[in-house]
Amino acid sequence: MTDLFVTDRSLEAGPPTSHRRPLNAPAVIGGLLLALTVLASVLAPVLSPTDPVKPQFSRRLAPPWGLGGTPAHVLGTDNLGRDILARLLHGGRISLALASVSVLIAAAVGIVVGLVAGSGGERVDALFMRLADVQLALPVIMLAIAIVAVVGTSPAALVGVLALSGWVLYARTVRANVLTIRRLEYVEAAYTLGASDLRIVARHILPNTLAPILVIGSSQFATMVLLESGLSFLGMGIQAPQPSWGLMLAEGRDYLSNAWWLATAPGMTISLVVLGANLLGDGLRDLLDPRLG
Amino acid sequence: MRRRSAASHSVGRRRFLTLSAAGLVAAGLPRAARAQGKRSGELVAGLSERMLTLDPANHYSISSTSVHRHMFDPLVDVTNDSKFVPALAESWRAVNNTTWRFTLRKGVTFHDGTPFNADSALFTLRRVKDNTKLIKSFVYQDIESVEKDGDYSVVVTSNRPFGSLPAHLTMLGMLPPHAAKNEEAFFQKPIGTGPFRFTSWTHGDHIVLAANPTYWKPGVPRVEKVTFRFIPELSTRAAGLRAGEIHVVDRVTPDLVETLKSSRGVKVFDVPAVEAQRWIFQLAKEPVKDQRLRQAISLAIDRNVIIKDLLLGYGRPVDSPVPPGLIGHTSLPAKPYDPERARQILKQAGYTNVSIDFVLMKDLYPKQLEITQAVAAMLGEVGIKVNIKNLEIATAREHRSAGTYDMFFSGWAHMPHDPDWYFGQWFTRAGSEKLTRYNNPRVEQLIAEGRVPDPKVRQAKYEELERILWDEEPEIWPYYSVAIYGVSDRVRNFEPRRDYYVLLSDVAIV
Amino acid sequence: MFVVLRVLPGDPAKMLLPEGAPQSAVDELNRHLGLREPLHVQYAIFIRSVFRGDFGQSFQYRAPALRVVTERLAATAQLALAAMFLTGAVGVSLGIVAAVRRGTRYDVASTLFAVLGQSLPNFWLGIMLILLFGVALRWLPTSGFESWRHLILPAVTLAAFPTALVARLTRSSMLEILGRDYIRTGRAKGLAERAVVLRHALRNAAVPVLTVLGLQVGTLLGGAVITESVFAWPGMGKLVVDAIFFRDFPVVQTVLIFSATIFVLINLLVDLLYTVIDPRIRYS
Repeated sequence: MTDLFVTDRSLEAGPPTSHRRPLNAPAVIGGLLLALTVLASVLAPVLSPTDPVKPQFSRRLAPPWGLGGTPAHVLGTDNLGRDILARLLHGGRISLALASVSVLIAAAVGIVVGLVAGSGGERVDALFMRLADVQLALPVIMLAIAIVAVVGTSPAALVGVLALSGWVLYARTVRANVLTIRRLEYVEAAYTLGASDLRIVARHILPNTLAPILVIGSSQFATMVLLESGLSFLGMGIQAPQPSWGLMLAEGRDYLSNAWWLATAPGMTISLVVLGANLLGDGLRDLLDPRLG
Repeated sequence: MRRRSAASHSVGRRRFLTLSAAGLVAAGLPRAARAQGKRSGELVAGLSERMLTLDPANHYSISSTSVHRHMFDPLVDVTNDSKFVPALAESWRAVNNTTWRFTLRKGVTFHDGTPFNADSALFTLRRVKDNTKLIKSFVYQDIESVEKDGDYSVVVTSNRPFGSLPAHLTMLGMLPPHAAKNEEAFFQKPIGTGPFRFTSWTHGDHIVLAANPTYWKPGVPRVEKVTFRFIPELSTRAAGLRAGEIHVVDRVTPDLVETLKSSRGVKVFDVPAVEAQRWIFQLAKEPVKDQRLRQAISLAIDRNVIIKDLLLGYGRPVDSPVPPGLIGHTSLPAKPYDPERARQILKQAGYTNVSIDFVLMKDLYPKQLEITQAVAAMLGEVGIKVNIKNLEIATAREHRSAGTYDMFFSGWAHMPHDPDWYFGQWFTRAGSEKLTRYNNPRVEQLIAEGRVPDPKVRQAKYEELERILWDEEPEIWPYYSVAIYGVSDRVRNFEPRRDYYVLLSDVAIV
Repeated sequence: MFVVLRVLPGDPAKMLLPEGAPQSAVDELNRHLGLREPLHVQYAIFIRSVFRGDFGQSFQYRAPALRVVTERLAATAQLALAAMFLTGAVGVSLGIVAAVRRGTRYDVASTLFAVLGQSLPNFWLGIMLILLFGVALRWLPTSGFESWRHLILPAVTLAAFPTALVARLTRSSMLEILGRDYIRTGRAKGLAERAVVLRHALRNAAVPVLTVLGLQVGTLLGGAVITESVFAWPGMGKLVVDAIFFRDFPVVQTVLIFSATIFVLINLLVDLLYTVIDPRIRYS
């Protein structure tokens, strides 16, 4: 079976260059979804029907429009009578920024470590992978408390903790791919032909590991949003009454059985973003993957 | 000086009826049910807090105290209206200001047949005083000696008046002296004189207790078996109740009451708790050390909105730092809501752009974050900016010790049903050193004078010091908490406790 | 790690004592807990004890930390294994179906499932499952650690995220492999579709999936905090988080020593499996 693999594979002369296909429909939908969410968050002050922070005790826990609520509060109100749509829009600015920056940093660090570990020889590999094991064994919360104790609270510290919690997944995935790919004959051939390491990494290895990276990245987004709310109590996350999607979820938690919309609205929004990221990720992968026709 | 008899229990209960409508439902049932006196069935309770130890002297956890009360008897019990009644002590009296004498119940045996007598009381009290590793030890450090006088009498002397000793003893289960041989082994499978015997404990999950058929109180317990399950997550606890797996759950929040009430087979009980919420100020810190600013903050807070709209009525307006029912409670004029006056005070005192840090211990008090956000908005109305810091408990407490806060969301459940601990901790210089930095010699003197056993003296001293506190406003008492329980309609004779205990010895199931 | 724990703000004795304990009591208790020694002395004592198999006394439980931790192992292992099984079985099958039937409604359904699995918070899913299967239908117990029936809902809750991730990874890896020439060749040579998909494609798609699965085992073992609290499951995840919050150093240390070992072992095992699945991966 493996012979089959290697023989056939050797027929390929590396990634062809002339492929340019239009993006598929799901990818366009995904991209639009993401663009809309970002746009809505950016325009939050304009779009918001009311102040996202100021409580209105008299209209506490109003259900969404069409489910017993009024069109004045389309998605209903929360436990302090604040408009959920307004909070979602404003919260998106913080949550989208934090989550995407930390996913990008985690991915960047993870990819570099994975490439170095995978192609850098056994010692380097062992060093990085055991480091990763130890880091995984340390609970994120403990790291976060320690980091706050040492460097204090700031958005940068928060992004650092989030990224720290995420890089290993990329590192190990990339490394595993590198281990597979570098033994492929065309890569070995490129080595023999004197191609530089950097060139090999850029031309042959990276494109081949892109698929799993896109998958992991798009799914990690939701994890980061949730983790951000999980860390808010360290004083490094977003502190109430400022809205963030994670915080809204956490606040809605106690109301699941009597006012489900509090947690469901931010939950659905996160799902939409994840859906957009998944579709776009798949689309991008298809676009970048030379072999799919 | 003070003598209580068993009779005060029923009198107390009747008086208590006036306090709470829910109490009516709970207390109305018992007489008829008790007459039958047959033991059958099995009760399952879901508690909010995980039990960490079976050693009654080594924790101050409310859930654990509930569980332990079923296995161990204390010398003194406390009724729901804060009256102290006999348990293993038949009577007690203060011989003088620093000496208490307890007369013990005869004919009581531990679960292994060991007789209960003065040696047991001696062992238990000396252990908690001498073994400073025990969590409860610090409370008993004033004790000078514990001696027996015959087999059924114990004399406790202290180096300063210790009027709250009987109250503290309600939380201390009596142990057999042979526990000393190997304490670690003993507390794996403990033995008490209580209405239930220890069966098994799956750590972090549940504990099973079986009825003690030779319990000294006739007709108790009413069921064969009790299981306490530890379910910290309220939604899960409530789901267990609604699914019929659990018969009693504690610590229900106001927002869940309607859901539970509309569930088949579930009833809800509520009762004003012996707990006051408190928002403490850092009294050595600018700007909140200024009484005028504290007064303005107090005036800007609409307590009524908090109680009505956020707690849905499950909170009580405060009329004294000490909740009703406890010694020392006195009715003082309600704190008004007057934002206009608050603005005036701020203006006169020259405060503009005041910004204060309000620190919370994450998830500790029900609805605390919601209420704090409401307060932040109210204070914002008069021009005070509030930075909410909802922090992990240990970190929050560090802020409190270091004094890096302006307001701090706290609470005080008067577990021993006596305010001495509260006053001594928060309003003496030594006690508040790492907390609020409160310092008022007159108050300190009144607290010391209020430690005597005589209830009349104590009431007078406490009334005077409460009036001082009421004016100084070293903390804001926004509301008294209400204890809410969810109970299966198969349960008979359940009493919703003001101290959050879940006591099932007298409870039956059909 | 030892130092990290000790630089955390917060005071173990203060966490153990009630709110209103005087400072003298705090100091006294810290002395008993051995926390008033200088840091290097504490460390020396700790190292010496660990080599004797003594992990210290838990501050919270007043019992040997090792016993406190091992008592939770059974519950943790049960939940992790069940979730792992679900992840592997459901995740991989969904991924294969989605890849093979690309663009059909199976693919769409699998994508939607994956999106939900990735974005639904565990507490939301857990409580909804309890309300549906425990309260409304009464098919399964709402919480607790007793029989296999108690295991179902927490295992499903815990498996949701890794299942979604594995399904998507399998799909994307499979798509990549299925597009390759040798698979086309295989098909052209008349190999049965089943054989092509399962023997050739899946095997080659397995490396990234396996990597992520291996990492998830660790997450499932120690990271099930929310699932454990929702279902009142007495596992290690909640234990260690509570221990961190209560500054119960001996318990945290013991769990960390355990989990670091498990991580290293599992990832070594995964590395070993790479070479079995794909003989081209060698360690030079």
